[in-house]
Amino acid sequence: MRILQLIKLNLSVVVLGLFTLEAFAAEPILIGLSITRSPPGSVIQGTQIKDAMEIYADMINAKGGLLGRPIKLVIEDNQGLPEKGRSAVEKLITRDKVVAVTGAHQSSVCLSEIEVAHRYQTPYVNTNCWADSVRIKGYPEVINTSPYNFIVADSMAETLKAMKVKRVVAFAENTDYGIGLAKGVGEALKRKGSTIDYKFETLDRSSKDFTPAILALKSNPPDVVVLTMLPPAAYIALNQLYEQGVAPSPKTLVYDGAGMADYPDFWQNVKDAGKYMMTIGMYHPDMKMNDLSKQIAVEYKKRTKNDPNRLIYQAVDSLLVITEAIRQAGTTDSAKILDVMRKSKFEGARGLMTFDTFPGVSYQQWAAIPYVNYQLTDVNQAVGKTTLLQGPGMPLNTSKITMPK
Amino acid sequence: MLFLDLTVNGLIMGLFYALMAVGLSMIFGVLRIINFAHGEFFMIGAYTYALIATSFGINPWFTLPLAALGGAILGLVVERLLIRPLYDGYRSWSFVKDEYAVVVTFALSLLLIHLVDKVIGPSPFMGPSLFSMQRISIGPIMLNGQKLISSGVSIFLLISLAIFIKKSLWGKQIQAVAQNRFGAALAGIDPVKTTALIFAIAGGLAALSGALLSPIVNPSPDIGSFPAIKSYVIVVLGGLGSIWGSMFAALILGVLESYFAVYVSYDYRDAFGLLILICVLIFRPNGLAGMKGREI
Amino acid sequence: MIKTLSISNSKLWRNRLKFDFWSLLIVLLLMCFLPLLDLSDYTLGILIVAMYLAIVAMSWNLLAGYCGQFSMAPAAFAMIGGYIVGLSDFHAQLSLWISVPLAIVGTAILGALLGLTVTRLKGPYLSLTTLSFAEISRVIISNSHEYTRGDQGLNVPSMMNDRLSYYYFFIVLVLLTGVFIYWLMRSKLGGFLLAIRDDQEGAESKGIDIVFYKLVAFTISCSLCGFAGAMYGSFSQLVSPEMGLLQQTGLVISMVVIGGIGSLTGPVIGAILVYLGSEWLREIGNIQMIVFAFVVIIFARFFRTGIWGFCLGLKQRLLQNHHE
Repeated sequence: MRILQLIKLNLSVVVLGLFTLEAFAAEPILIGLSITRSPPGSVIQGTQIKDAMEIYADMINAKGGLLGRPIKLVIEDNQGLPEKGRSAVEKLITRDKVVAVTGAHQSSVCLSEIEVAHRYQTPYVNTNCWADSVRIKGYPEVINTSPYNFIVADSMAETLKAMKVKRVVAFAENTDYGIGLAKGVGEALKRKGSTIDYKFETLDRSSKDFTPAILALKSNPPDVVVLTMLPPAAYIALNQLYEQGVAPSPKTLVYDGAGMADYPDFWQNVKDAGKYMMTIGMYHPDMKMNDLSKQIAVEYKKRTKNDPNRLIYQAVDSLLVITEAIRQAGTTDSAKILDVMRKSKFEGARGLMTFDTFPGVSYQQWAAIPYVNYQLTDVNQAVGKTTLLQGPGMPLNTSKITMPK
Repeated sequence: MLFLDLTVNGLIMGLFYALMAVGLSMIFGVLRIINFAHGEFFMIGAYTYALIATSFGINPWFTLPLAALGGAILGLVVERLLIRPLYDGYRSWSFVKDEYAVVVTFALSLLLIHLVDKVIGPSPFMGPSLFSMQRISIGPIMLNGQKLISSGVSIFLLISLAIFIKKSLWGKQIQAVAQNRFGAALAGIDPVKTTALIFAIAGGLAALSGALLSPIVNPSPDIGSFPAIKSYVIVVLGGLGSIWGSMFAALILGVLESYFAVYVSYDYRDAFGLLILICVLIFRPNGLAGMKGREI
Repeated sequence: MIKTLSISNSKLWRNRLKFDFWSLLIVLLLMCFLPLLDLSDYTLGILIVAMYLAIVAMSWNLLAGYCGQFSMAPAAFAMIGGYIVGLSDFHAQLSLWISVPLAIVGTAILGALLGLTVTRLKGPYLSLTTLSFAEISRVIISNSHEYTRGDQGLNVPSMMNDRLSYYYFFIVLVLLTGVFIYWLMRSKLGGFLLAIRDDQEGAESKGIDIVFYKLVAFTISCSLCGFAGAMYGSFSQLVSPEMGLLQQTGLVISMVVIGGIGSLTGPVIGAILVYLGSEWLREIGNIQMIVFAFVVIIFARFFRTGIWGFCLGLKQRLLQNHHE
């Protein structure tokens, strides 16, 4: 009698829980998004990506959808943790039965997610994971529309060399992106035959006080401090560099390798410390805007009151690759979609995308991704008003760099 | 003068840690539990301060006490709703008390972090400074105005607390309850009110620490965890229940961390403090100041 | 009305333990039939992770519920166990047959070393020291990029080909853990542990070497966690520093509290319900963590003996009604 009671209790509770987990696939074409919507990951990046993709999805649906069916984004929260990313993508693929997965914006999460995509042979379009290791793995399911460390490192090394500086110190966050990029800059410098004295220091991105490391530079400051850190740690580092008078100073400038100057919360977090910062950027209003990017810009401003930045366009481009591939392939079959992705050209918001299949750091990567280098010259400056040191497709002009008095 | 710079920087950070740690230490002294939501008092303080100052345009100096008040109120609410059941009445909680406190305060911490994240938003911001962020040189050391002023405020608060505990009537009641709850009750002191007061003070101090640090660490909803972990280390180093011990341990930790970060390795800096903790406990199981005489 | 599950090697305790054990068997039996509901890989995966957490929860309960030591390091030891396997594969390509026993032994040794420090300490000092240890290990693993690939984590080879096999494998693991702990608690060691939990000075006065037995319990608990971590690593094929986050330990503790501390079945029920609950709450959207934390607080406040205790109470009442 009592055993029966127990059995009933146990069974009913567990089964109840289980049944609510099972769902049925529906008519629309489902595309999965694995982004960060709660800490400890970067929620601000996740939100930007979600907003941008929703705008583009709405645009597609307004024009009649894809293959006669509307598209629907299924969004999962990976919290910026590799394990949650793994289970989120698994849920998207096995339960929600999405056609493709995209949205990734943190390299370590990306690495665990591509394993799942590879296991189920589902197309995975990398939105913003820069780490070389994602490409080097060589999984045929992974298509990269994101910037990649190799090219960012190359450009930064080129800039440093052109600046004719002697000593550079880099602060890298303790992630694959941070360390990978910092190392990459060093290797690129060597490749270009530069004699710059370059070293990098790894900082814990969950720490809140980098003053000791910064103080160590005070007695003999380098010519450039390179940052390969993401917010919020990057904001703190920038503030503390300024506070200690290390950079920006008449001798030292900050050169950012994360493209954070166009984040919506950049200026409210750094204020004076951001002035004179040099940065590599994946987007600048001076870049040629096609109709698509203009439309996106208007809609994004309308919905979020913020100016668009490169992450928005990256997000749109990743979704675009998926939808265009489906349209061209005429089917939602994974193998066919991937085939189209590899062979075709895609007119995205940032330009014409093609994916080269040469193994290595640019495997299935949009190798000719456009980038610029610019310098912030005033507090609260909009990206459009900054000084372009290297416009899209133009040579680097370091004479335009201004130093503080 | 790197050494001097590091020492000063370490002492300053230590002051901020101390504000957190003394509250935690007091809670332990009286209740023998660790409050795992202490970091969230810090976070709420930072948020209250920044939000009120920017939304209503009030001068930051006036918003500071408001932030402290916010922390104090939170402390009172937590005590009333969650902690009081441990001690009210005669039912014996001794078996489950410790893990109840752990679970409840840990869950509370999660709850607060995600509530703030949902209601206010996840992005970090920079709190308004009390004093301009301009760099001020004192001899060979360069500090910013904010850090200087905040340190001054912290020192003032810590000394006031010490005097309060030692001399005032309420302070003496706190000491009595810490030493022997039942005995204090026999003597006519209300242990419940005293406990509530302690939570209010602890909450207020942690909140102030958050407010003062907000221009320096760019708070976000999960900002509470780093000062919390430092506080745990400090409180054990200084001897659970000893305020002076916690204060000194905080300063020592701040300074040692700075040295370690630069002279040894930056990566493992946070691990360092915890390592000191384990080493100290091996040799002095009651912390540096210890629980001699069970005084606060 | 039951308050706690009481001490002593008396017949009452033994009967309760036996009832506890049989319930565990029934729960596991029920779980064997679940796949008949045609569950997706995703749901099976969730249940497997829940079972991994159940093993960790049972080891924490051994230490806290049966021995009174509230360690904050279970998740850290699981992470260490997982990393021993991961590192063995990454650096030396050792097969799982070697690396898993290595993980068990390794965590046992570390546990014993930590235990030597910790078992001499009282109350919250133990919690704080284990917390420090947990954070130190996580920071070290997370920052030693050259050896551990930092936050990218390490790949672990898998043992079976499909999800379903893993599911039954984990059921067996939970069963074995339950049997082991049951056997342990029935033995003299079990009696000593309970005596230490309830009245340390009293136990000491009866000649029980409390430091030794606490150390034994601590070591066993740590190596069980390490074992669970190694198995989990093999299932998810990835171990990362997030396995050892304090948040994870908090999750485990919540599972034991909600399920019912001081019992065999409690942690298992708690693990399944809490983990399923947190996944289910994902559906509700962003507020999952808020709801979850709130539920845990309510439970800790009003249902001190957990679900298991509640069921036990029901059973008592039914018995009484029956006999009247």
